[in-house]
This record gives sequence, C-alpha cells and structure tokens, in this order.
Amino acid sequence: MTIDRKKIIEEMSKVKILGNEEGMIPVFGVYVQQLPAAIWNGFARRMINSVPEHLVPAAEELLINAAHECGYHTGHGIITSEEFKTVVGPMLEKMPEDVLHGAFAVFTAWGWAKSEVTELIPNQKMVVRAYDYYESDIISYGKTNRPAAFMITGVSGAFMDLAYGGPYDPKGKTGIYTFKCQQTKGIEMGDDYGEFVVTRNQA
Amino acid sequence: MSQEKKIEFEVDRRFDPVKSRHFLNGVCTVLHCHHYATLYSQLALDAVNFNGADHLVEASEDTFYEVLNSYYLNKGATTAEEKVEIARQYWQAVGMGLIQFTGVGKFEILAEMEYSHLDEGWLKKWGGSKKPVNLFTVGFVAAVAALVNEKPVRSFRVTETKSLVCGDEKSEFKGVAA
Repeated sequence: MTIDRKKIIEEMSKVKILGNEEGMIPVFGVYVQQLPAAIWNGFARRMINSVPEHLVPAAEELLINAAHECGYHTGHGIITSEEFKTVVGPMLEKMPEDVLHGAFAVFTAWGWAKSEVTELIPNQKMVVRAYDYYESDIISYGKTNRPAAFMITGVSGAFMDLAYGGPYDPKGKTGIYTFKCQQTKGIEMGDDYGEFVVTRNQA
Repeated sequence: MSQEKKIEFEVDRRFDPVKSRHFLNGVCTVLHCHHYATLYSQLALDAVNFNGADHLVEASEDTFYEVLNSYYLNKGATTAEEKVEIARQYWQAVGMGLIQFTGVGKFEILAEMEYSHLDEGWLKKWGGSKKPVNLFTVGFVAAVAALVNEKPVRSFRVTETKSLVCGDEKSEFKGVAA
C-alpha cells in the first residue's frame, strides 16, 4: 500500500481539539492551542518591519527556529500518536520515507499548509510544495520581496531531522538542526506555490 | 420568578478541503504547540530595542478584538456580563487556559489565570522566569476591556502583575484606561 493522502487528510482533519476544564489541550506530548492565523502573521510582520534591513535575516531566522523546534517536538508527538498509527500506520511500507509523506498529509489536514513532498532523496534532500498556506495571507497587503513562510520552512527542516537525524531527543540537544530548509518560492511573493528545499545542515 | 440566562460560547468548526484550512466560527485558525508560542514570546521579549513585546501584545489585541467583536455582533451579546463570559469560554475553548475576569469597570479591568497554556508551556520548556511572559493574554485582556467599554483598541494599557512562571499561585492582569 502507498500513502493515501486523500484518506489521511479526510480522517485527520476530523480530529476535534478543544480545551479541557482547565482550558488546556495536552496532546501529542505538548500543549496545543488553536489561535487565529492572523496573530502569527501579525506578529511576524511587525517584527520584520521593525528591524533595520541588515537584521531582517536574523529576525527571520528566529521565526524559523521557533517553527523548527515546534515541528521537531510536535512532529514527533504526531508520528508516534495513536491517531497516526491508526490512520497512517497501515499505509507505511518504506521507512522513514513513507512517514515523511504521511506527516505532510497530516500537516495539510491540520491546516498548516496544503503541502506535499515532491522530491525526496533519502538522508540528503527533500523538496516540499505548498499550494495554500496561511502565512501567504500577508499578500493582501501587497507582494513581499522576501519569502515569509517561516513556519513551513522550520517545520520542513524538523521533519527531516525526525526522519534522518537520529533518535528523537526530548531535550532537543541532539537530533535537531541536522537539516536546514530554504524557501525558494512563495505565494506571498507572487509565485503560484511555495517551495521549500531541505538539505543537510553543514554548519 | 426570573430565570438566569445561560451564556454559552458556541463553537462552529469547519474544514475547507479545497484550501485545507480550519475555521472556528468563520475565523481561519491554526493549531500550534507551546514550543511555538513560548519561542515567539521569548523572541518578543528579547527584542527590547525593536519593541518586540509591544508588537506581540498589539498583534494579540488586534486579533482578538476583531474575533470577539465579530462574535458579539453575530450573537447579539451587548452586556458586560455576556462579553466577559464569552471571552472566558473562548480562551478556554482554544486552549489558552482558564481566565477569570474579577473586576470589569469603565477605567479598570482585572483578570486572573489559574491555568495558562503559555505559562505551563514556559515552565515545561524552561522552568521559570523572573518576569511575567504572557504577552498573548495581556493583549487579549486589553481587547476584552476595550470591547466591554465599547472603545477602540489601545484604550486600555494592561500589565501582568503576577505570574505562574514567577512562582505565583495565579497570573494576574491589571488594565487601566489609557
């Protein structure tokens, strides 16, 4: 069996998450919240617009890093969850490549980005395309001259860490940052889709 | 005999399969974890020279002002009691914690949190902080204060005066009219 994206998206998009009596959502080994996309875009834009030009790459890197850590820990929680095992588990044949394809189907189902892996060289490189994502909504203020999908960039790198970076480290001291991701296209820049290229981190 | 009206925040969830987006009461939402929220907060707090904390508070205030105002208009919530109760239930539903508005007036608003996504996440990730860190809720309380008083955003200046991450039993927020 190969990864059935349509089925995964259909099943995983139905997962209902609401705060418990303490207003908390403890799932997948982390606390989760479900906030309007506008708050994340709003803060990222304000930060990028407030720093001098020479510090823009550094500010972007910090936003990407937040997503990289989030993707590493939450991603691990997702791919080891009962929901993932139930829905995606029976489709897994080639490891860890099928897990990566499945993870991006979940990524899509949860509303992070309508995305898929379009190229994968095991242990070396992955290319992801995103055809719709909330970070591109900033185009409503006009096209950007730099890529701005910091969340997808960070999480894509983290997913390759989980696949090929060695055993998961809950403290995030090893295993994470073995890959880095560069966004090469973006809807927010006027492209038809976002493109993200993940390669081994040589640093 | 009068009957007490029960105020209930209604949750209408939809998934758009074409764009692969989730909507909560018509607002595009996204699931994120405490790592993401705390790292964004840390970034905001560290960016002292670039008003990072103000940026996060204002992004929060603007976002929740619009979300709550739209809901209030849609459901016909007009009284202060209705508005704060809906805000409390909203914060709980989206996983941000348990907030209680303990004082709501024309010139002042007080709120406290016994459970907080941001603080619990911060404690889990870093163990504590010497200063309060919950900028998301500071903005949220400012939005609620403005809406209750039918004022625009930036009408209240909110400060977190006690904090779970600092070892206090509850986080406390105090807002005063700007």
